[in-house]
Amino acid sequence: MTKFMWFQMISIFVILGLLITICAVEDKLVSDALYNVREYCYQIENAVIENDGIKNNVVNSLVENLEEKWLSDERNLCYVVNHKSIQEIGVEIIKLKTYIEEDDIREFSVSLELIKLYSEQYHHFMGANFKNVL
Amino acid sequence: MLTTVFRVIIIYVIVLFLYRLMGKRQLGQMQPFELVLTLIIADLATIPMAEISVPVLDGIVPLFTLVIIHFLITVFSKFSTKFSHFISGKPVIVINPNGIDYKALKNLNLSIDDITEAVRGAGYFKLEQVQYAIMETNGKMSVFPKSEYAPVTVGDMKLQVEKSALPINLISEGKILKNNLEVAKVDKNYILELLKKADIKRVKDCLILSVDKGGAVFVQEFDKAYKTFNVEPLGQVQE
Repeated sequence: MTKFMWFQMISIFVILGLLITICAVEDKLVSDALYNVREYCYQIENAVIENDGIKNNVVNSLVENLEEKWLSDERNLCYVVNHKSIQEIGVEIIKLKTYIEEDDIREFSVSLELIKLYSEQYHHFMGANFKNVL
Repeated sequence: MLTTVFRVIIIYVIVLFLYRLMGKRQLGQMQPFELVLTLIIADLATIPMAEISVPVLDGIVPLFTLVIIHFLITVFSKFSTKFSHFISGKPVIVINPNGIDYKALKNLNLSIDDITEAVRGAGYFKLEQVQYAIMETNGKMSVFPKSEYAPVTVGDMKLQVEKSALPINLISEGKILKNNLEVAKVDKNYILELLKKADIKRVKDCLILSVDKGGAVFVQEFDKAYKTFNVEPLGQVQE
């Protein structure tokens, strides 16, 4: 084996390793971030029922936490996921805050459902499955 | 804009590295699978450059995947001739001593014009001058002329000639090529002597200085005519 062949062989293995790492990291980051979003959504849903409305400190603070958590997760997700495919979640989270101020529970519920839908269906639309591959 | 600049630099460096990794054949004689690869790489590389919302990794991952595929195809092709023929095809004889093989021509989707053009490109203007013409897998035509039309070589004339030696450049554009000094097994003093003989005062005035194993020197000063002379054979030059 010549020097170049060694270089080629080592580079191919490094690239293969990088590919596996990138795929694994992407899956972990996306799964964790979306799981966090869903968990917050369920908590917010429960808080709305328990507090009989959305204009209260509990729901407000949960939405604030959701926004904060999403912003930090989104920063990492941007390394591996197309920004456009996840921006809807951020937009709907911002809307939640506005609906709390306006005390619009109907629109609040719609946005919450949308966030849940995006986070639940992301893997369905973007994940590595047979349908998406084809 | 600054993001785009950095992205372009990253992608450029990676694509350059990948092409080097795939070997020089990518740049010249491309096999069908290499052509496909080149086209896809060119397209993929531009996506993260043009679209800021797309992560750079979205461009890099497909590039890496293509390189892995290319590597596997190359390795399998080395081990299996059948696989190699399946991927790259096989050389096809389109002209044989009986003339044009029309069936082979049709299989290759070539016309008579294509053949005559390729034959002319090889330096033969009459088809009867050609013994064999082979369409290679990289799309180039190799032409083997009939003996009576083949160029005469030194071997044909049975002449005794000196073994040709590769000239080694010792100075290029006013700079001494240190690596070549090692190859020629000479030192800076040897160069200075040659320059003195050529009436060139400084190394930086010399456009090119080359010498071959037999001691034939070619030297040219900037903006002046070249000179040639012979010195003692190097003797130790590695061919």
